Amino acid sequence: MLTLCVHRQLAEFTLQIDVTCTYPVTAIFGPSGCGKTTLLNLISGLMRPDGGQISIDDTILFHAEKGIDLPPEKRRIGHVFQDDLLFPHLTVRQNLLYGYQFLAPSERKFHPDTIIDLLELNTLLDRLPNLLSGGERQRVALGRAILTSPRLLILDEPLTALDQELKDRIMPYLRHIRTDLGIPMLYVSHAIGEILQLTGQVIVLNRGQVLAHGDFFSIAHQPKILPLLEAHGFENVLPVEVIAPNRVQYNNQTLHIPPCDRVSGTHIFIGIRANDIILCRQRPAGLSIRNALSAQVIDIVETHGRSLVYIDVGKRLAAEVTPEAIGELALKIGDPVICLIKTHAIRIGPDVS
Amino acid sequence: MVISLPFAVLLGWVLARKNFRGKLILDGLCHLPLVLPPVVVGYLLLLLLGRRGFLGQILSDWFGLQIAFTWRGAVLAAAVVGFPLMLRAVRLAIESVDPRLERAARTLGANPLRAFFSITLRLAAPGVLVGSLLAFARSLGEFGATITFVSNIAGETRTLPLAIFTYINQPDGEAAAARLVLLSIILSLGALIASETVARKMKS
Repeated sequence: MLTLCVHRQLAEFTLQIDVTCTYPVTAIFGPSGCGKTTLLNLISGLMRPDGGQISIDDTILFHAEKGIDLPPEKRRIGHVFQDDLLFPHLTVRQNLLYGYQFLAPSERKFHPDTIIDLLELNTLLDRLPNLLSGGERQRVALGRAILTSPRLLILDEPLTALDQELKDRIMPYLRHIRTDLGIPMLYVSHAIGEILQLTGQVIVLNRGQVLAHGDFFSIAHQPKILPLLEAHGFENVLPVEVIAPNRVQYNNQTLHIPPCDRVSGTHIFIGIRANDIILCRQRPAGLSIRNALSAQVIDIVETHGRSLVYIDVGKRLAAEVTPEAIGELALKIGDPVICLIKTHAIRIGPDVS
Repeated sequence: MVISLPFAVLLGWVLARKNFRGKLILDGLCHLPLVLPPVVVGYLLLLLLGRRGFLGQILSDWFGLQIAFTWRGAVLAAAVVGFPLMLRAVRLAIESVDPRLERAARTLGANPLRAFFSITLRLAAPGVLVGSLLAFARSLGEFGATITFVSNIAGETRTLPLAIFTYINQPDGEAAAARLVLLSIILSLGALIASETVARKMKS
Protein backbone atom coordinates (compact mmCIF):
# COMPACT_ATOMS: atom_id res chain seq x y z
CA MET A 1 0.00 0.00 0.00
CA LEU A 2 1.38 3.34 -1.08
CA THR A 3 0.39 6.36 0.96
CA LEU A 4 1.03 9.72 -0.62
CA CYS A 5 0.39 13.05 0.98
CA VAL A 6 2.75 15.55 -0.59
CA HIS A 7 2.90 18.96 -2.09
CA ARG A 8 5.48 20.63 -4.26
CA GLN A 9 5.54 23.98 -5.99
CA LEU A 10 6.07 23.69 -9.75
CA ALA A 11 6.55 26.42 -12.32
CA GLU A 12 2.88 26.79 -13.20
CA PHE A 13 0.94 25.16 -10.39
CA THR A 14 1.30 23.36 -7.11
CA LEU A 15 1.32 19.61 -7.11
CA GLN A 16 -0.91 18.56 -4.25
CA ILE A 17 -1.57 14.87 -3.80
CA ASP A 18 -3.28 13.01 -1.01
CA VAL A 19 -4.14 9.44 -1.97
CA THR A 20 -3.69 5.87 -0.85
CA CYS A 21 -3.14 3.14 -3.42
CA THR A 22 -4.03 -0.36 -2.30
CA TYR A 23 -4.79 -2.06 -5.58
CA PRO A 24 -1.99 -4.15 -7.14
CA VAL A 25 -1.91 -1.81 -10.10
CA THR A 26 -2.94 1.80 -9.84
CA ALA A 27 -2.81 4.01 -12.88
CA ILE A 28 -2.25 7.72 -12.88
CA PHE A 29 -4.01 9.31 -15.78
CA GLY A 30 -3.82 12.91 -16.87
CA PRO A 31 -2.92 15.15 -19.78
CA SER A 32 0.71 16.03 -20.52
CA GLY A 33 2.18 18.45 -18.03
CA CYS A 34 -0.28 17.63 -15.25
CA GLY A 35 2.49 16.69 -12.84
CA LYS A 36 2.60 12.93 -13.39
CA THR A 37 6.33 12.67 -13.95
CA THR A 38 7.04 15.00 -11.03
CA LEU A 39 4.91 12.81 -8.79
CA LEU A 40 6.91 9.73 -9.76
CA ASN A 41 10.18 11.57 -9.15
CA LEU A 42 8.93 12.50 -5.69
CA ILE A 43 8.15 8.86 -4.97
CA SER A 44 11.47 7.50 -6.18
CA GLY A 45 13.38 10.25 -4.39
CA LEU A 46 14.76 12.05 -7.43
CA MET A 47 12.92 15.19 -6.36
CA ARG A 48 12.13 16.43 -2.91
CA PRO A 49 8.58 17.36 -1.91
CA ASP A 50 8.11 20.74 -0.21
CA GLY A 51 6.27 18.94 2.54
CA GLY A 52 4.15 15.97 3.48
CA GLN A 53 4.90 12.29 3.66
CA ILE A 54 5.32 9.21 1.49
CA SER A 55 5.26 5.67 2.76
CA ILE A 56 4.96 2.15 1.44
CA ASP A 57 3.40 -0.31 3.86
CA ASP A 58 5.29 0.37 7.11
CA THR A 59 8.31 1.98 5.55
CA ILE A 60 8.43 5.76 5.60
CA LEU A 61 10.23 7.06 2.52
CA PHE A 62 9.71 10.71 3.23
CA HIS A 63 8.35 12.56 6.20
CA ALA A 64 8.83 16.32 6.36
CA GLU A 65 8.04 16.74 10.07
CA LYS A 66 10.13 13.79 11.22
CA GLY A 67 12.97 14.83 8.92
CA ILE A 68 12.99 11.50 7.08
CA ASP A 69 14.11 11.59 3.46
CA LEU A 70 15.48 8.28 2.23
CA PRO A 71 17.89 8.67 -0.71
CA PRO A 72 16.72 7.04 -3.97
CA GLU A 73 19.08 4.07 -3.55
CA LYS A 74 17.48 3.17 -0.20
CA ARG A 75 13.87 3.40 -1.35
CA ARG A 76 13.71 0.22 -3.40
CA ILE A 77 11.42 1.72 -5.99
CA GLY A 78 11.75 0.31 -9.49
CA HIS A 79 11.54 3.36 -11.73
CA VAL A 80 10.98 2.73 -15.43
CA PHE A 81 11.48 5.97 -17.31
CA GLN A 82 9.79 7.21 -20.43
CA ASP A 83 13.12 7.08 -22.23
CA ASP A 84 14.47 3.75 -21.15
CA LEU A 85 17.77 5.31 -19.88
CA LEU A 86 19.76 2.14 -20.38
CA PHE A 87 23.45 2.55 -19.66
CA PRO A 88 25.01 2.83 -23.12
CA HIS A 89 28.42 1.43 -22.11
CA LEU A 90 27.03 -1.75 -20.55
CA THR A 91 25.67 -4.83 -22.30
CA VAL A 92 22.08 -5.91 -21.84
CA ARG A 93 23.19 -8.43 -19.24
CA GLN A 94 25.22 -5.85 -17.33
CA ASN A 95 22.31 -3.43 -17.50
CA LEU A 96 19.96 -6.05 -16.12
CA LEU A 97 22.30 -6.91 -13.27
CA TYR A 98 23.27 -3.33 -12.43
CA GLY A 99 20.78 -2.97 -9.60
CA TYR A 100 20.72 -6.69 -8.77
CA GLN A 101 24.39 -6.61 -7.76
CA PHE A 102 23.71 -4.10 -4.99
CA LEU A 103 21.25 -6.41 -3.26
CA ALA A 104 22.22 -8.79 -0.49
CA PRO A 105 21.39 -12.36 -1.60
CA SER A 106 18.59 -12.52 0.98
CA GLU A 107 16.91 -9.49 -0.58
CA ARG A 108 16.84 -10.95 -4.08
CA LYS A 109 13.31 -12.01 -4.84
CA PHE A 110 13.77 -12.95 -8.48
CA HIS A 111 16.40 -14.94 -10.27
CA PRO A 112 17.81 -13.13 -13.31
CA ASP A 113 17.06 -16.17 -15.51
CA THR A 114 13.37 -16.03 -14.54
CA ILE A 115 13.10 -12.41 -15.60
CA ILE A 116 15.19 -12.93 -18.73
CA ASP A 117 12.83 -15.74 -19.74
CA LEU A 118 9.72 -13.78 -18.86
CA LEU A 119 10.77 -10.79 -20.92
CA GLU A 120 12.32 -12.99 -23.65
CA LEU A 121 15.69 -11.31 -23.53
CA ASN A 122 17.77 -14.46 -23.99
CA THR A 123 19.11 -13.60 -27.41
CA LEU A 124 19.97 -10.02 -26.54
CA LEU A 125 22.15 -10.47 -23.46
CA ASP A 126 25.53 -9.66 -24.98
CA ARG A 127 24.41 -6.72 -27.08
CA LEU A 128 24.91 -3.07 -26.31
CA PRO A 129 21.75 -0.98 -25.92
CA ASN A 130 22.33 1.05 -29.10
CA LEU A 131 21.84 -2.12 -31.13
CA LEU A 132 18.37 -2.77 -29.71
CA SER A 133 14.99 -1.71 -31.02
CA GLY A 134 12.72 0.56 -28.99
CA GLY A 135 10.61 -2.30 -27.71
CA GLU A 136 13.64 -4.36 -26.76
CA ARG A 137 15.17 -1.45 -24.91
CA GLN A 138 12.00 -0.90 -22.93
CA ARG A 139 11.89 -4.60 -22.01
CA VAL A 140 15.47 -4.43 -20.76
CA ALA A 141 14.59 -1.33 -18.73
CA LEU A 142 11.66 -3.22 -17.24
CA GLY A 143 13.83 -6.20 -16.39
CA ARG A 144 16.51 -4.00 -14.89
CA ALA A 145 13.97 -2.40 -12.56
CA ILE A 146 12.30 -5.70 -11.62
CA LEU A 147 15.63 -7.33 -10.73
CA THR A 148 16.14 -4.79 -7.95
CA SER A 149 13.25 -6.60 -6.19
CA PRO A 150 11.40 -3.33 -5.77
CA ARG A 151 8.69 -2.65 -3.22
CA LEU A 152 6.86 -0.83 -5.94
CA LEU A 153 7.33 -0.55 -9.67
CA ILE A 154 6.62 2.88 -11.07
CA LEU A 155 6.27 3.18 -14.81
CA ASP A 156 6.41 6.58 -16.43
CA GLU A 157 4.62 6.28 -19.77
CA PRO A 158 6.82 3.34 -20.71
CA LEU A 159 5.02 2.78 -23.99
CA THR A 160 4.66 6.35 -25.21
CA ALA A 161 7.78 6.28 -27.34
CA LEU A 162 6.70 3.06 -29.07
CA ASP A 163 4.41 2.57 -32.03
CA GLN A 164 1.07 0.83 -31.67
CA GLU A 165 2.31 -2.59 -32.76
CA LEU A 166 5.13 -2.55 -30.21
CA LYS A 167 2.75 -1.31 -27.53
CA ASP A 168 0.56 -4.32 -28.14
CA ARG A 169 3.57 -6.56 -27.85
CA ILE A 170 4.84 -5.08 -24.58
CA MET A 171 1.45 -5.07 -22.88
CA PRO A 172 1.34 -8.85 -22.30
CA TYR A 173 4.70 -8.59 -20.49
CA LEU A 174 3.27 -5.94 -18.21
CA ARG A 175 0.28 -8.17 -17.49
CA HIS A 176 2.69 -11.01 -16.66
CA ILE A 177 4.54 -8.80 -14.22
CA ARG A 178 1.27 -7.81 -12.61
CA THR A 179 -0.14 -11.31 -12.37
CA ASP A 180 2.89 -13.59 -11.96
CA LEU A 181 5.40 -11.52 -10.03
CA GLY A 182 3.01 -9.71 -7.72
CA ILE A 183 4.93 -6.46 -7.66
CA PRO A 184 2.62 -3.52 -6.94
CA MET A 185 2.68 -1.08 -9.80
CA LEU A 186 1.99 2.56 -10.33
CA TYR A 187 1.43 3.06 -14.03
CA VAL A 188 1.47 6.55 -15.46
CA SER A 189 -0.05 7.26 -18.82
CA HIS A 190 -2.06 9.74 -20.77
CA ALA A 191 -3.56 6.92 -22.82
CA ILE A 192 -6.59 5.52 -21.05
CA GLY A 193 -6.75 2.61 -23.49
CA GLU A 194 -3.33 1.45 -22.30
CA ILE A 195 -4.30 1.83 -18.67
CA LEU A 196 -7.48 -0.18 -19.01
CA GLN A 197 -5.54 -3.15 -20.31
CA LEU A 198 -3.79 -3.30 -16.94
CA THR A 199 -6.15 -2.00 -14.34
CA GLY A 200 -9.39 -0.24 -13.63
CA GLN A 201 -8.03 1.63 -10.63
CA VAL A 202 -7.24 5.13 -11.74
CA ILE A 203 -6.09 8.38 -10.20
CA VAL A 204 -7.03 11.25 -12.46
CA LEU A 205 -4.61 14.13 -12.23
CA ASN A 206 -4.94 17.59 -13.71
CA ARG A 207 -2.74 20.60 -13.03
CA GLY A 208 -1.28 18.92 -9.97
CA GLN A 209 -4.59 18.09 -8.33
CA VAL A 210 -6.30 14.73 -7.93
CA LEU A 211 -9.62 15.09 -9.72
CA ALA A 212 -10.84 11.64 -8.91
CA HIS A 213 -9.55 8.38 -7.54
CA GLY A 214 -11.15 4.99 -7.79
CA ASP A 215 -12.65 2.57 -10.22
CA PHE A 216 -12.42 4.04 -13.70
CA PHE A 217 -15.88 2.97 -14.67
CA SER A 218 -17.48 4.65 -11.73
CA ILE A 219 -15.57 7.92 -12.08
CA ALA A 220 -15.44 8.19 -15.86
CA HIS A 221 -18.83 9.84 -16.10
CA GLN A 222 -18.17 12.53 -13.54
CA PRO A 223 -18.56 15.92 -15.20
CA LYS A 224 -14.99 17.03 -14.36
CA ILE A 225 -13.42 13.79 -15.61
CA LEU A 226 -15.29 13.40 -18.84
CA PRO A 227 -13.73 16.37 -20.65
CA LEU A 228 -10.25 14.99 -19.91
CA LEU A 229 -11.16 11.62 -21.29
CA GLU A 230 -12.90 13.15 -24.25
CA ALA A 231 -9.77 15.14 -25.04
CA HIS A 232 -8.04 11.81 -25.45
CA GLY A 233 -10.77 10.26 -27.53
CA PHE A 234 -11.81 7.66 -25.03
CA GLU A 235 -15.25 8.25 -23.68
CA ASN A 236 -17.40 5.18 -23.62
CA VAL A 237 -17.00 2.11 -21.52
CA LEU A 238 -19.31 -0.86 -21.33
CA PRO A 239 -19.17 -3.90 -19.07
CA VAL A 240 -19.81 -6.93 -21.28
CA GLU A 241 -19.69 -10.70 -21.12
CA VAL A 242 -17.42 -12.63 -23.48
CA ILE A 243 -19.41 -15.29 -25.34
CA ALA A 244 -16.90 -16.19 -28.05
CA PRO A 245 -13.31 -15.17 -28.86
CA ASN A 246 -14.63 -12.32 -30.98
CA ARG A 247 -18.06 -11.68 -29.57
CA VAL A 248 -19.44 -10.18 -26.41
CA GLN A 249 -22.91 -9.68 -25.08
CA TYR A 250 -24.35 -6.57 -23.59
CA ASN A 251 -27.98 -6.32 -22.45
CA ASN A 252 -29.00 -9.22 -24.69
CA GLN A 253 -27.40 -7.53 -27.70
CA THR A 254 -24.37 -9.11 -29.33
CA LEU A 255 -21.30 -7.08 -30.27
CA HIS A 256 -18.45 -8.17 -32.49
CA ILE A 257 -15.04 -7.25 -31.07
CA PRO A 258 -11.46 -7.73 -32.28
CA PRO A 259 -10.17 -11.19 -31.29
CA CYS A 260 -9.15 -11.31 -27.62
CA ASP A 261 -7.61 -13.97 -25.39
CA ARG A 262 -10.34 -13.96 -22.72
CA VAL A 263 -12.34 -17.08 -21.90
CA SER A 264 -16.04 -17.22 -22.59
CA GLY A 265 -18.06 -16.20 -19.56
CA THR A 266 -15.53 -13.60 -18.45
CA HIS A 267 -16.88 -10.15 -17.79
CA ILE A 268 -14.71 -7.48 -19.31
CA PHE A 269 -14.89 -3.82 -20.13
CA ILE A 270 -14.76 -2.52 -23.65
CA GLY A 271 -14.05 1.03 -24.71
CA ILE A 272 -15.34 2.96 -27.68
CA ARG A 273 -14.36 6.45 -28.83
CA ALA A 274 -17.19 8.94 -29.21
CA ASN A 275 -16.20 9.65 -32.80
CA ASP A 276 -16.28 5.95 -33.69
CA ILE A 277 -20.03 5.77 -33.04
CA ILE A 278 -22.40 6.44 -35.90
CA LEU A 279 -26.02 7.26 -35.18
CA CYS A 280 -28.90 6.49 -37.53
CA ARG A 281 -32.64 6.49 -37.42
CA GLN A 282 -33.30 3.05 -38.82
CA ARG A 283 -31.41 -0.20 -38.66
CA PRO A 284 -29.55 -0.08 -41.97
CA ALA A 285 -29.34 -2.92 -44.46
CA GLY A 286 -26.34 -3.83 -46.59
CA LEU A 287 -23.69 -2.29 -44.37
CA SER A 288 -20.39 -3.93 -43.46
CA ILE A 289 -20.67 -2.75 -39.86
CA ARG A 290 -21.63 -5.66 -37.64
CA ASN A 291 -22.53 -3.83 -34.49
CA ALA A 292 -25.84 -2.04 -34.17
CA LEU A 293 -27.22 -1.25 -30.73
CA SER A 294 -30.66 0.16 -30.06
CA ALA A 295 -30.52 3.30 -27.99
CA GLN A 296 -32.37 6.37 -26.91
CA VAL A 297 -31.12 9.95 -27.03
CA ILE A 298 -30.83 11.37 -23.52
CA ASP A 299 -28.91 14.57 -24.07
CA ILE A 300 -27.33 16.71 -26.78
CA VAL A 301 -24.39 18.91 -25.84
CA GLU A 302 -22.41 21.29 -28.01
CA THR A 303 -18.97 22.36 -26.80
CA HIS A 304 -15.91 23.78 -28.57
CA GLY A 305 -17.44 23.23 -31.99
CA ARG A 306 -18.16 19.56 -31.30
CA SER A 307 -21.53 18.09 -30.60
CA LEU A 308 -21.92 15.11 -28.37
CA VAL A 309 -25.10 13.14 -28.34
CA TYR A 310 -25.55 11.15 -25.18
CA ILE A 311 -27.51 7.98 -25.74
CA ASP A 312 -28.80 5.30 -23.44
CA VAL A 313 -28.02 1.71 -24.39
CA GLY A 314 -28.54 0.53 -20.83
CA LYS A 315 -25.56 2.68 -19.95
CA ARG A 316 -24.78 6.20 -20.99
CA LEU A 317 -22.65 6.52 -24.12
CA ALA A 318 -21.39 9.63 -25.88
CA ALA A 319 -21.39 9.82 -29.66
CA GLU A 320 -19.74 12.62 -31.58
CA VAL A 321 -21.87 13.90 -34.41
CA THR A 322 -21.54 17.02 -36.52
CA PRO A 323 -24.10 19.77 -35.79
CA GLU A 324 -25.38 19.43 -39.39
CA ALA A 325 -26.09 15.75 -38.87
CA ILE A 326 -28.07 16.49 -35.74
CA GLY A 327 -30.14 18.90 -37.77
CA GLU A 328 -30.56 16.48 -40.63
CA LEU A 329 -31.60 13.61 -38.41
CA ALA A 330 -33.71 16.03 -36.39
CA LEU A 331 -32.44 14.39 -33.23
CA LYS A 332 -34.06 15.41 -30.00
CA ILE A 333 -34.07 14.10 -26.48
CA GLY A 334 -36.10 10.92 -26.13
CA ASP A 335 -35.74 9.79 -29.76
CA PRO A 336 -34.92 6.15 -30.42
CA VAL A 337 -31.75 5.69 -32.49
CA ILE A 338 -29.54 2.90 -33.70
CA CYS A 339 -25.85 3.27 -32.93
CA LEU A 340 -23.31 1.62 -35.19
CA ILE A 341 -19.83 0.69 -34.07
CA LYS A 342 -17.06 -0.74 -36.24
CA THR A 343 -15.62 -3.93 -34.79
CA HIS A 344 -12.07 -2.65 -34.85
CA ALA A 345 -13.01 0.58 -33.16
CA ILE A 346 -13.71 -1.41 -30.00
CA ARG A 347 -10.90 -1.64 -27.50
CA ILE A 348 -10.62 -4.47 -25.08
CA GLY A 349 -10.35 -3.39 -21.45
CA PRO A 350 -9.63 -5.21 -18.21
CA ASP A 351 -11.77 -7.80 -16.47
CA VAL A 352 -14.68 -6.58 -14.42
CA SER A 353 -13.53 -7.15 -10.86
CA MET B 1 49.27 14.70 -13.81
CA VAL B 2 48.46 12.00 -11.30
CA ILE B 3 48.15 14.65 -8.61
CA SER B 4 45.83 16.89 -10.55
CA LEU B 5 43.52 14.16 -11.90
CA PRO B 6 41.36 13.67 -8.76
CA PHE B 7 41.06 17.44 -8.37
CA ALA B 8 40.16 17.88 -12.00
CA VAL B 9 37.46 15.20 -11.76
CA LEU B 10 36.05 16.74 -8.60
CA LEU B 11 36.11 20.30 -9.92
CA GLY B 12 34.97 19.17 -13.35
CA TRP B 13 31.93 17.57 -11.75
CA VAL B 14 31.24 20.64 -9.62
CA LEU B 15 31.48 22.97 -12.60
CA ALA B 16 29.49 20.69 -14.89
CA ARG B 17 26.65 19.71 -12.61
CA LYS B 18 26.26 22.27 -9.88
CA ASN B 19 24.91 25.77 -9.94
CA PHE B 20 25.96 28.10 -7.20
CA ARG B 21 27.00 31.67 -6.51
CA GLY B 22 30.55 32.39 -7.44
CA LYS B 23 30.69 29.58 -9.99
CA LEU B 24 32.02 32.08 -12.49
CA ILE B 25 34.75 33.14 -10.10
CA LEU B 26 35.74 29.56 -9.31
CA ASP B 27 35.76 28.83 -13.02
CA GLY B 28 37.97 31.86 -13.63
CA LEU B 29 40.37 30.96 -10.83
CA CYS B 30 40.74 27.43 -12.17
CA HIS B 31 41.60 28.71 -15.61
CA LEU B 32 43.95 31.43 -14.45
CA PRO B 33 47.14 29.36 -14.88
CA LEU B 34 46.19 28.85 -18.53
CA VAL B 35 46.04 32.55 -19.27
CA LEU B 36 48.68 33.98 -16.94
CA PRO B 37 52.28 34.05 -18.15
CA PRO B 38 53.97 30.97 -16.64
CA VAL B 39 56.53 33.19 -14.96
CA VAL B 40 53.71 34.88 -13.04
CA VAL B 41 52.34 31.50 -11.99
CA GLY B 42 55.79 30.50 -10.77
CA TYR B 43 56.21 33.77 -8.92
CA LEU B 44 52.79 33.43 -7.24
CA LEU B 45 53.64 29.87 -6.22
CA LEU B 46 56.87 31.19 -4.76
CA LEU B 47 55.00 33.87 -2.82
CA LEU B 48 52.55 31.30 -1.51
CA LEU B 49 54.80 28.32 -0.92
CA GLY B 50 58.24 29.88 -0.55
CA ARG B 51 59.96 29.61 2.80
CA ARG B 52 58.40 32.90 3.88
CA GLY B 53 55.18 32.33 2.02
CA PHE B 54 51.92 31.82 3.88
CA LEU B 55 51.50 28.12 3.13
CA GLY B 56 55.18 27.42 2.76
CA GLN B 57 55.82 28.53 6.34
CA ILE B 58 53.11 26.31 7.75
CA LEU B 59 54.32 23.31 5.75
CA SER B 60 57.94 23.71 6.77
CA ASP B 61 57.20 24.53 10.46
CA TRP B 62 54.68 21.76 11.01
CA PHE B 63 55.74 19.01 8.66
CA GLY B 64 59.30 20.02 7.82
CA LEU B 65 58.23 19.94 4.21
CA GLN B 66 60.06 22.16 1.80
CA ILE B 67 58.48 22.78 -1.56
CA ALA B 68 60.17 25.74 -3.23
CA PHE B 69 63.52 24.90 -4.85
CA THR B 70 62.94 21.12 -4.52
CA TRP B 71 61.70 18.45 -6.92
CA ARG B 72 58.30 18.60 -5.20
CA GLY B 73 57.99 22.18 -6.30
CA ALA B 74 58.83 21.20 -9.88
CA VAL B 75 56.06 18.60 -9.79
CA LEU B 76 53.63 21.09 -8.32
CA ALA B 77 54.46 23.74 -10.92
CA ALA B 78 53.89 21.20 -13.69
CA ALA B 79 50.60 20.12 -12.12
CA VAL B 80 49.35 23.66 -11.69
CA VAL B 81 49.98 24.77 -15.26
CA GLY B 82 48.52 21.56 -16.69
CA PHE B 83 45.46 21.63 -14.47
CA PRO B 84 43.22 24.03 -16.46
CA LEU B 85 43.60 21.97 -19.62
CA MET B 86 42.68 18.79 -17.81
CA LEU B 87 39.80 20.48 -16.03
CA ARG B 88 38.34 21.82 -19.27
CA ALA B 89 38.38 18.41 -20.92
CA VAL B 90 36.96 16.63 -17.88
CA ARG B 91 34.22 19.19 -17.44
CA LEU B 92 33.16 19.00 -21.07
CA ALA B 93 33.19 15.20 -20.92
CA ILE B 94 31.01 15.14 -17.80
CA GLU B 95 28.64 17.71 -19.25
CA SER B 96 28.12 15.51 -22.28
CA VAL B 97 26.82 12.62 -20.15
CA ASP B 98 23.05 12.60 -19.65
CA PRO B 99 22.55 13.37 -15.93
CA ARG B 100 19.38 11.26 -15.97
CA LEU B 101 21.51 8.13 -16.41
CA GLU B 102 23.07 8.77 -13.04
CA ARG B 103 19.64 9.28 -11.51
CA ALA B 104 18.47 6.02 -13.03
CA ALA B 105 21.46 4.35 -11.39
CA ARG B 106 20.43 5.84 -8.06
CA THR B 107 16.93 4.38 -8.30
CA LEU B 108 18.56 1.02 -9.04
CA GLY B 109 20.33 1.15 -5.70
CA ALA B 110 23.69 2.79 -6.41
CA ASN B 111 24.87 5.36 -3.88
CA PRO B 112 25.89 8.75 -5.32
CA LEU B 113 29.60 7.93 -5.44
CA ARG B 114 29.03 4.55 -7.03
CA ALA B 115 26.61 6.00 -9.57
CA PHE B 116 29.10 8.71 -10.49
CA PHE B 117 32.03 6.35 -10.93
CA SER B 118 30.24 3.49 -12.65
CA ILE B 119 28.12 5.61 -14.99
CA THR B 120 29.11 9.23 -15.47
CA LEU B 121 32.87 8.96 -15.08
CA ARG B 122 32.96 5.74 -17.05
CA LEU B 123 31.11 7.41 -19.93
CA ALA B 124 33.30 10.50 -19.63
CA ALA B 125 36.49 8.41 -19.57
CA PRO B 126 37.65 9.18 -23.13
CA GLY B 127 37.39 12.91 -22.39
CA VAL B 128 39.20 12.51 -19.10
CA LEU B 129 41.96 10.70 -20.96
CA VAL B 130 42.29 13.46 -23.54
CA GLY B 131 42.46 15.98 -20.70
CA SER B 132 45.17 14.01 -18.99
CA LEU B 133 47.18 13.89 -22.18
CA LEU B 134 46.87 17.64 -22.67
CA ALA B 135 47.95 18.22 -19.10
CA PHE B 136 50.87 15.84 -19.57
CA ALA B 137 51.93 17.66 -22.71
CA ARG B 138 51.66 21.02 -21.04
CA SER B 139 53.63 19.93 -17.97
CA LEU B 140 56.30 18.25 -20.08
CA GLY B 141 56.96 21.56 -21.77
CA GLU B 142 56.65 23.59 -18.60
CA PHE B 143 59.53 26.07 -18.31
CA GLY B 144 58.64 29.51 -17.03
CA ALA B 145 56.81 28.60 -13.85
CA THR B 146 59.37 25.97 -12.96
CA ILE B 147 62.41 28.15 -13.34
CA THR B 148 60.77 30.95 -11.36
CA PHE B 149 59.44 28.78 -8.58
CA VAL B 150 62.14 26.17 -8.07
CA SER B 151 65.04 27.49 -10.14
CA ASN B 152 67.26 25.15 -12.16
CA ILE B 153 69.12 22.96 -9.70
CA ALA B 154 70.93 19.99 -11.22
CA GLY B 155 69.63 16.68 -9.91
CA GLU B 156 66.77 18.33 -8.05
CA THR B 157 64.62 20.65 -10.13
CA ARG B 158 66.18 20.40 -13.57
CA THR B 159 63.25 19.26 -15.71
CA LEU B 160 63.64 18.14 -19.31
CA PRO B 161 63.19 21.57 -20.91
CA LEU B 162 65.43 23.18 -18.32
CA ALA B 163 68.11 20.61 -18.94
CA ILE B 164 67.92 21.11 -22.71
CA PHE B 165 68.07 24.85 -22.21
CA THR B 166 71.12 24.47 -19.95
CA TYR B 167 72.97 22.21 -22.39
CA ILE B 168 72.29 24.47 -25.35
CA ASN B 169 73.80 27.34 -23.42
CA GLN B 170 77.01 25.37 -22.78
CA PRO B 171 79.74 25.49 -25.50
CA ASP B 172 79.93 21.67 -25.94
CA GLY B 173 76.46 20.68 -24.84
CA GLU B 174 74.90 20.02 -28.23
CA ALA B 175 75.26 16.25 -28.16
CA ALA B 176 73.68 16.02 -24.70
CA ALA B 177 70.89 18.36 -25.76
CA ALA B 178 70.22 16.23 -28.83
CA ARG B 179 69.85 13.12 -26.64
CA LEU B 180 67.34 14.91 -24.46
CA VAL B 181 65.44 16.21 -27.46
CA LEU B 182 65.19 12.65 -28.71
CA LEU B 183 63.99 11.55 -25.28
CA SER B 184 61.24 14.17 -25.27
CA ILE B 185 60.10 13.11 -28.73
CA ILE B 186 59.90 9.48 -27.58
CA LEU B 187 58.02 10.45 -24.42
CA SER B 188 55.50 12.57 -26.31
CA LEU B 189 54.92 10.02 -29.02
CA GLY B 190 54.58 7.25 -26.44
CA ALA B 191 51.98 9.22 -24.52
CA LEU B 192 50.03 9.99 -27.70
CA ILE B 193 50.00 6.37 -28.86
CA ALA B 194 49.14 5.06 -25.41
CA SER B 195 46.19 7.40 -24.98
CA GLU B 196 44.91 6.72 -28.48
CA THR B 197 45.03 2.97 -27.83
CA VAL B 198 43.23 3.25 -24.51
CA ALA B 199 40.61 5.60 -25.93
CA ARG B 200 39.90 3.20 -28.76
CA LYS B 201 39.52 0.30 -26.36
CA MET B 202 37.08 2.30 -24.24
CA LYS B 203 34.92 3.15 -27.19
CA SER B 204 34.61 -0.38 -28.49
